[in-house]
Amino acid sequence: MSGAEISVPQEPADGLAAVAALRRLADQLEDTAVEQAMRAGWSWPQVAEALGVTRQAVHKKHAPRLIAAGVKLRRR
Amino acid sequence: MTAFDTYLHTVIDQGTREAREDGSAAVEAHHLLLAIAAERETTTLGVLTSVGLDHQAIRDALDREFEHSLGAAGVSLAAFGLPRPSVDPGRSTQLGASARLALERGFSSVTRKKDLRPAHLLLGIVRAQVGTVPRALALAGVDQADLTTRVLQTLTPEDD
Repeated sequence: MSGAEISVPQEPADGLAAVAALRRLADQLEDTAVEQAMRAGWSWPQVAEALGVTRQAVHKKHAPRLIAAGVKLRRR
Repeated sequence: MTAFDTYLHTVIDQGTREAREDGSAAVEAHHLLLAIAAERETTTLGVLTSVGLDHQAIRDALDREFEHSLGAAGVSLAAFGLPRPSVDPGRSTQLGASARLALERGFSSVTRKKDLRPAHLLLGIVRAQVGTVPRALALAGVDQADLTTRVLQTLTPEDD
């Protein structure tokens, strides 16, 4: 699985920077994946369950962005 | 509002746009650095240009830092091939911890608030010893100590 084998950096600075970068990558991946799912017709409860968060949380975080982008959203 | 207050507001507004572009929920120190490079304030722009930094060069350095830091954990950004998600133009953004530290460092370099100038904001950002900005500067081949000295020189009255 290229690109997905996590290794532990030797230097503390590299390790801490990797944590910050991975959090940022996870945020970007979440934005992209939620948008893909909603464009594909998934419901908020499905997306929430797949992410392991409440649907209120996922709706609050992503609905305004997707509405602004003109994504047709399924009713809850 | 003083001229510095106006400048600070402009930089924070621009930093907010940079953060949104990034999909970031918080304005961080590196967004403020991008914002300073996007403004037309001659002293700060002059210092950045003197070490080869403009908005695009900073953007490139930050991208390299992101890839480099992921690489330290064995993760390749290229392997993800992420499409850019839609940006929420109205997403509320707050000042992140690194931006707050940069402002505090900048403000604490003067004893009287009325002495604050745009270069103090840049000074607060480039004085960080660890974090995204120093790492990005190092990857861009910028000597951070030299950059800090150059900023300080613009703040020192030439009366000797």
